[in-house]
Amino acid sequence: MSAPPNALPRPAQELARLEQAWEPPQGWRLLSAVNNTYIGLFYIGAALLFLVLGGILALLMRTQLAVPENDLVDYDLYNQLFTMHGSVMMFLFAVPVIEAIAILLLPAMLGARDLPFPRLSAYAFWAYFVGGIVFFGTIFFDVAPDGGWFMYPPLTSYEHSPGLRADFWLLGIGFIEISAIAGAIEIVVGILRTRAPGMTLDKMPVYVWAMLVVGGMIIFAFPPVILATALLELERAFHWPFFLAERGGDPLLWQHLFWLFGHPDVYIIFLPGAGLVSMIVATMARTPLVGYEWVVLALVATGFISFALWVHHMFATGMPHLTTSFFSAASMAVAIPTGIQVFAWLATLRRGQVQKATPTWFVLGFFGTFVLGGLTGVMLAVAPYDWQVHDSYFVVAHLHYVLIGGMVFPVFAAIYYWAPFVSGKPLSERMGKWACALMFIGLNLAFFPMHIVGLSGMPRRVWTYSDTLGWEQWNMLSSVGAFVLAAGFGVAFLDLLLHLRPKGKVDSNPWDAGTLEWLPLDNYGVRSIPHVTSRDPLWDRPQLREEVERGEHFLPGTLTGDRETLVTSAIDARPQYVLRLPGPSWLPLLAGLGTAAFFLFLTVKSLVASALGGVIALVSIFMWLWQSEPAPSARLYDVGGGIKLPDHMTGSRSHSWWAMVVLLLVDATIFSCLVFAYCYFWTVSAAWPPPPFGFPDVTATVACIASWTVSATVLFLAHRAFGRSAPRVPLIVPIALGTAFAWIAFVLAFRALAQTDVRPDQHAYGAVLYTLLSWQGLHVVLLTLMGGYTIARAIAGRASAMRRNAFDNTRLMWYYAAVQSALGCLVVHAPRMM
Amino acid sequence: MSEMRLPSALHAAPGSGAELLSELGLVLYCGAGIIFIVVVALALHATFAKPSPAGTRAWIVGGGIVFPLLTLFLLLNYTLAVGSAVAALESGTALQLLLDCFGIDAQKRIPPPSPGTMRVHVIGKQWWWEVRYEIVRGDTSTAVLANELHLPVGEPVELLLTTTDVIHSFWVPSLAGKVDMIPGRTNRLILRANTPGLYRGQCAEYCGGQHALMALYVKSQPRREFETWLQRQARSVTRPDDAFLLAGYEAFFKGTCPDCHTVRGTPATGKSGPDLTHVGSRYSLAAGTLRNHVGTMAGWIAGAQDIKPGNAMPDSEIYTGRELRALAAWLGSLE
Amino acid sequence: MSLRALIAAATLVLTARQSSSDVPHRITGDVQRGQQTIVRLECGVCHVIPGIPGARGRVGPSLAAYRRNVYIAGRYPNLPEVLVRFVRDAPSLAPDTAMPSIAMSEREARDIAAYLYSLE
Repeated sequence: MSAPPNALPRPAQELARLEQAWEPPQGWRLLSAVNNTYIGLFYIGAALLFLVLGGILALLMRTQLAVPENDLVDYDLYNQLFTMHGSVMMFLFAVPVIEAIAILLLPAMLGARDLPFPRLSAYAFWAYFVGGIVFFGTIFFDVAPDGGWFMYPPLTSYEHSPGLRADFWLLGIGFIEISAIAGAIEIVVGILRTRAPGMTLDKMPVYVWAMLVVGGMIIFAFPPVILATALLELERAFHWPFFLAERGGDPLLWQHLFWLFGHPDVYIIFLPGAGLVSMIVATMARTPLVGYEWVVLALVATGFISFALWVHHMFATGMPHLTTSFFSAASMAVAIPTGIQVFAWLATLRRGQVQKATPTWFVLGFFGTFVLGGLTGVMLAVAPYDWQVHDSYFVVAHLHYVLIGGMVFPVFAAIYYWAPFVSGKPLSERMGKWACALMFIGLNLAFFPMHIVGLSGMPRRVWTYSDTLGWEQWNMLSSVGAFVLAAGFGVAFLDLLLHLRPKGKVDSNPWDAGTLEWLPLDNYGVRSIPHVTSRDPLWDRPQLREEVERGEHFLPGTLTGDRETLVTSAIDARPQYVLRLPGPSWLPLLAGLGTAAFFLFLTVKSLVASALGGVIALVSIFMWLWQSEPAPSARLYDVGGGIKLPDHMTGSRSHSWWAMVVLLLVDATIFSCLVFAYCYFWTVSAAWPPPPFGFPDVTATVACIASWTVSATVLFLAHRAFGRSAPRVPLIVPIALGTAFAWIAFVLAFRALAQTDVRPDQHAYGAVLYTLLSWQGLHVVLLTLMGGYTIARAIAGRASAMRRNAFDNTRLMWYYAAVQSALGCLVVHAPRMM
Repeated sequence: MSEMRLPSALHAAPGSGAELLSELGLVLYCGAGIIFIVVVALALHATFAKPSPAGTRAWIVGGGIVFPLLTLFLLLNYTLAVGSAVAALESGTALQLLLDCFGIDAQKRIPPPSPGTMRVHVIGKQWWWEVRYEIVRGDTSTAVLANELHLPVGEPVELLLTTTDVIHSFWVPSLAGKVDMIPGRTNRLILRANTPGLYRGQCAEYCGGQHALMALYVKSQPRREFETWLQRQARSVTRPDDAFLLAGYEAFFKGTCPDCHTVRGTPATGKSGPDLTHVGSRYSLAAGTLRNHVGTMAGWIAGAQDIKPGNAMPDSEIYTGRELRALAAWLGSLE
Repeated sequence: MSLRALIAAATLVLTARQSSSDVPHRITGDVQRGQQTIVRLECGVCHVIPGIPGARGRVGPSLAAYRRNVYIAGRYPNLPEVLVRFVRDAPSLAPDTAMPSIAMSEREARDIAAYLYSLE
């Protein structure tokens, strides 16, 4: 074993300076904190709050259904309750809580001091929290959505759902879309670029792998629902008929887009749970996870397969037999990677001496419930069987076994397991046991009878039922079970309230775990960033704790006086540069509030207030970006081990470049879904373009593409010239010119469309054409804003050959927008070639 | 309605697709039960037994790959066979082989529709079902009813499922799996029951406010009885002779009833509500919500919004008590 | 028809009033069976009836605390024999009523009346 990279003794002021740089804001200023340990806890707390709120809605429903023909709530309230319960649990609890846990745990597991974009996390949290509270509040004003969490049109379109209810759903989902994407950027870039030196991909903890896969899945799974919600809002607000059959639309398009998101979303929720279980099982059994490679492979495989399953939510829609067979097979296939993980956990438990403590009980509870949910999942994958149980209470049973068993149990196992990581000591064993037992009994009592009542013909989403159908005793059991389950949650929350006291400085490893998050920690994270040589460093090198705490490893202090962490290469984790991180700021909070206000006031159609919110959000975001990319110093810093690193990097080594690429992947996926929508309409129509409409004008289309080419070329030339002359010349003129050509291109595209005579509210053809155009227009506006910002930086002297990430990111977006717009114009003409 | 079978996939009608599906279900429950018990036993054993180096990758390969691959391969083929049998697919050689392999004989299979197969159009509406029989092929104008379907015993009947508003789903658990009714599309489902019986179904796709109160009845009856029934359903009605019923007839036209309802043989030709020509013969009112007798009829006419709030039928508040009774009696007499 | 009913009712009133005030509501019906019959005949379509699930109709009067009602249909004393008859065949007592004559046996009518008198 080689000597640690830094020699002792450490300079006298090193620790004090490090502490000072990471000093958390005090008192009410805590709200301006951006540090992952604070945002992570806020985030988890908010997600658990929504779990409680969603649970209360469930208890109301179970009380209503406890007896037949009950009058506790009427149909109208009941429909709001089940819609809100599903939406709150999926969008405000499940997805946020997995991102929240990642934000809290990942840096410590990776040996980083923080994630690469702390303010982005803070912004995502505030937008989510404020938006979520407003969304939930609609239930008190009788304007909560009532179209189901799946919001199938045409029921949810303007004709059958007038009023604001459905709009509030779309609004609520808007927030979670923003925070999910922001979280995914943070998680993916954080995992790939801020790992401790030496932590190559094959040495990452399994949970980190799970989150990497999940981050990737969010990038590709959320765009379909982002597009779907945008289309539905366009249909509701402007009557663009995407989903209305009588004007060329198709309600099934919504189902495709929704489940293209919805099914991966199930695995976005479950895989982190599986990752948590892998970590807990290995520690509690005190032995490395059996079959690490298999488990990682299984995670990746699940990620891929989960995108090929969505149609199993649509088996009853009258699909061709061949289609159902394919999706049936794919849905069954996903059982294999899950089976691999289950048997890896079983083998690990068998091999080790298992510690009997609350996390273990929750893991056993997970086995006892999730496996059953998985097995009923295979039943649902059987298309003919699904024809019977689809949309019956059988599915309600299945999904709660999978989601509570597969995700909530692991999350509570994790809460009990990582509580010492937060507060230095474990929660109450006694209360933990009670919570686990009550939850396990409650879950089974509440949901097992639902299998039977579903098979007995009880459909989902009914506010009442007759006493002549043999359903009443099962429903009563379910209702009792729901309250037992709630009691279990109650005990766990009481334990958290009584015993969890988050601390800045923690030195605790009660389960004798092997991964980095159990090193001594303070507000700055680890004292020095360890050099990692194995998967379970604390098991393999017992002396590592002392070495790290004494500052013998990398970056033992602050080199620039700012908050810092190490950026390493994506595959083999070689140190590349010292990333200077931003400190506490009110801007993310302001931007989050502004964003929430913008959407909220837009929904209730008070345009002035909405615009005000939008301006606040934009200005805050611009001010925060303005402070990013601080002036690089020309010197190299010694981080230890003879490694000297710069404090800045440009191009593809920069962490911001990676974030931009992730964002463009999201953008490109949204665009692909829009192209899919166009092709979908084309294939389901008898004639295309639908008579009497024609294709857009070819000349104008060609001119538009030419204009985009000029626009992008100008930016490319500017890039080539950058660094050879003073930065202002190659920035200001070309960007202004590029912007002008982008606008010209947009006007040309508009003209090409205007000649077709089709208007967006006449036919799905017009609607999708105008949406493609609007998407192009949105990018032109975005380029104008980004270009203006880049020019402003150049004028203010904040751009140079060294300091060019703002320009490079703008340039990337520029190329992307040009290619996307050209493709968008071309794809419209594709049917001509058929 | 004491003759009604429980609307349950667990009580499938003999000869129906649901019967094949409930056999499939049995296979699934047994398989899942065994796997579940084994995994939980392994988990408990692994946790509480003394540590052993036996926990190896062989577990992963055996339990996580080999076993599920084999099981799922068999299951997939079996379910393809069952699927084709209940979906009334034309069986090619390969499919026939599969059916033979799993012992699904020709009698159990739901036959594909032929030119002689009777066709019934079922149209989902918020929140009731319109049913139109093709007495002459292609003609759906005569035998029109609501929330009720009759089948001749032992004969496959092809349903053409559509909707005029939102998505609904046709589900009679004792007879067959569910099929969605989607705007802009026509879906098909073939029903068959080999014994007489009365079955209940309910909308399975959330379709708005009163989705919970959208049920229907399916009656399978001997061929002759069925024919008599269908002929009667196709008949028009005449002005009643009885003074009290005549008062009811007149009350019908005094109100807004004819704007929405058709009674064939009278000037009432409204289209948006159920055809009432033989409403007296039906098992239920308000799509399976109420039993059908003169009391519920009067209550439904005067208080439709109490019984099924939000539905398209208004409370009729213009009638005197006697008129209401007469109206209910006249409608009840339309058998 | 209704005159005879009135005479019958009056006779009942005269004989019954001689004993305690509770006696008029004594009836030889089974409360529990009455409840089941009310559910089966769906009287709740028109009436609010305590103890009957889903009985929220407003077409007819609420039957809450029925025992304490003084008149049936606003004109006949609330007596068992009158009630039994009214339940089965309201128009025979009140030709202008909206409540139809409903097919049921004498015993079923008695059970229903017994149930209604159990509502205090």
